[in-house]
Amino acid sequence: MSTVDAGAAAGFADPGVPVIAPEAQRTMVRYTFGERVIHWWVGLTFVALMVSGFALGYPRAYFLSGLFGGGQTMRFLHPWIGVAFTLGILAMVIVWVKDMKLTADDKDWVGRLRSYTRRGHTGIDTGRYNAGQKGYFWYVVVFGLVLFLTGLPIWGGALGGAAMIHHVARFLHHAAFLLMVGGFIIHVYMSTVMFPGTMSAMTSGRVTRAWAAWHHPRWFREEEHRRAGAPR
Amino acid sequence: MSTELGLAIRRKSATPASATGIRRDTVEIAKLVDIDLCIGCKACEVACKEWNNLPAETTSNFGSYQSHEDLTASTWDLMRFNEVDLDNGDLAWLIRKDSCLHCDDPGCLAACPAPGAIVQYTNGIVNFDQTKCIGCQYCVSGCPFDIPRFDQKTKKVYKCTLCVDRVSASLEPACVKSCPTGAIKFGGKKEMVEVALGKVDKLKGRGFDHAMLYDPSGVGGLHMMYVVPRGDRLEDYGLPKDPQVPGTFFSALSVLRKLGSISVWGGLLATGIFWLRTGRRRPPAEDEAVAEAMRLGEEYGRRPDGDLPPPATEPAGYGVAGGPAANGGPAGHGDGGEEER
Repeated sequence: MSTVDAGAAAGFADPGVPVIAPEAQRTMVRYTFGERVIHWWVGLTFVALMVSGFALGYPRAYFLSGLFGGGQTMRFLHPWIGVAFTLGILAMVIVWVKDMKLTADDKDWVGRLRSYTRRGHTGIDTGRYNAGQKGYFWYVVVFGLVLFLTGLPIWGGALGGAAMIHHVARFLHHAAFLLMVGGFIIHVYMSTVMFPGTMSAMTSGRVTRAWAAWHHPRWFREEEHRRAGAPR
Repeated sequence: MSTELGLAIRRKSATPASATGIRRDTVEIAKLVDIDLCIGCKACEVACKEWNNLPAETTSNFGSYQSHEDLTASTWDLMRFNEVDLDNGDLAWLIRKDSCLHCDDPGCLAACPAPGAIVQYTNGIVNFDQTKCIGCQYCVSGCPFDIPRFDQKTKKVYKCTLCVDRVSASLEPACVKSCPTGAIKFGGKKEMVEVALGKVDKLKGRGFDHAMLYDPSGVGGLHMMYVVPRGDRLEDYGLPKDPQVPGTFFSALSVLRKLGSISVWGGLLATGIFWLRTGRRRPPAEDEAVAEAMRLGEEYGRRPDGDLPPPATEPAGYGVAGGPAANGGPAGHGDGGEEER
């Protein structure tokens, strides 16, 4: 069994916390190849949209348009990347919706948010996703679709529409953009810095058993049970 | 089209702090279209095409003396032939020269996200620089007069330049030069306003009680004004009664932008501080983590596959300090029982 743990290997060990050599840790599958493709499809299109969005929305950030071959090319690309992003969002819903249904445990998790941010553990029997992850999933789906719908009237041409619709759409597009950027910062921080061992789930697709048992105990037991071949 | 020849710039689109502001008031120029004197000969249209080297377009008869149905990316000046039935049964031909009005407070410039694509000179001319235009057409929705036209081939937006190249060389605009009746006048803005008000008085003397100067304040005034004989029928000329820069929208967007800059930079800073303050949250060793997962399964009364909801009645044999009943509900239990990392 291959063992990869990008987070633990990144060398950010806190003093006083023993770090087990990644090679010595046993791992298990967290994400299939298809799931990782969808994640990075959405992630990379989002980053492209965010960077070009800053260039379009903030004159001081206009220099970023150079990354896309100049203003006019960027303005042409942005809506089409948006279409690709939206398709990724829809794929995400199809693949993950069954894991993202909210349960009674999620309410308890929100009540223990403090414990989660401070200690990184809630003592709740969390399944494949905790309430925070589910919340971010739906946040991205909702505001991703808002961005798509408000993007249509400002795409221009036949989709142009009346001036007032254009203005309102432009305002809402900017507001939803800022909300997405905020969520994105938190998402990246949590999955790389805050919780070591998380990043490998989206690179190699594997996490350590310790990570799985600690953060997603119910999912861990399910996977163990499934692997043991016991009847469900 | 995209020249900055010898003219001082007042402001540029999407260019923070572009207003230089140190100069004293410079002379602002203006065109004045005296609709009373216009005979609808379209010489100005031709002169505009000729001077600006704009290609001719195939036109068709759509039941009007008007040459083109609408302004296009290569037709920047159009005589609109508005036929109107008056209250006394007479027919009136309200012919209006339609082209960019060069607002003093241009909605197009405020809407534009491409730095320098729209320029306003200190003399009042508003000009598009197509080399910097990105083709987003935000100016089209920002314009209260429906003037800018998008070209599908070049993917850029065009409009009247007020012959900025001629004006910067001390020449009058081509349309003014060609007008055989002197209906289009050109000069300093103040001078043109005086001429216009004199003409309005004359028209009133002739019975045009509603004659007026069209120089609306909602767009900061115009650098192409009209003397309108029938001021009570502005809509029939195709002139909005109270045109506005979409100011509420632009100030709302500007507030959102400031809020955005503050929260993005603030958010990054807060995240950094949070990191330094709280560090990382590493899972414990595998044995300990797995033991905790098993303990939780027992506490929640899960079946071995973990998939099932807890039974309705409390299962026996929890044996966990703190107990499940503390907070009520199937998942409730005190924080005190948690393992710390």
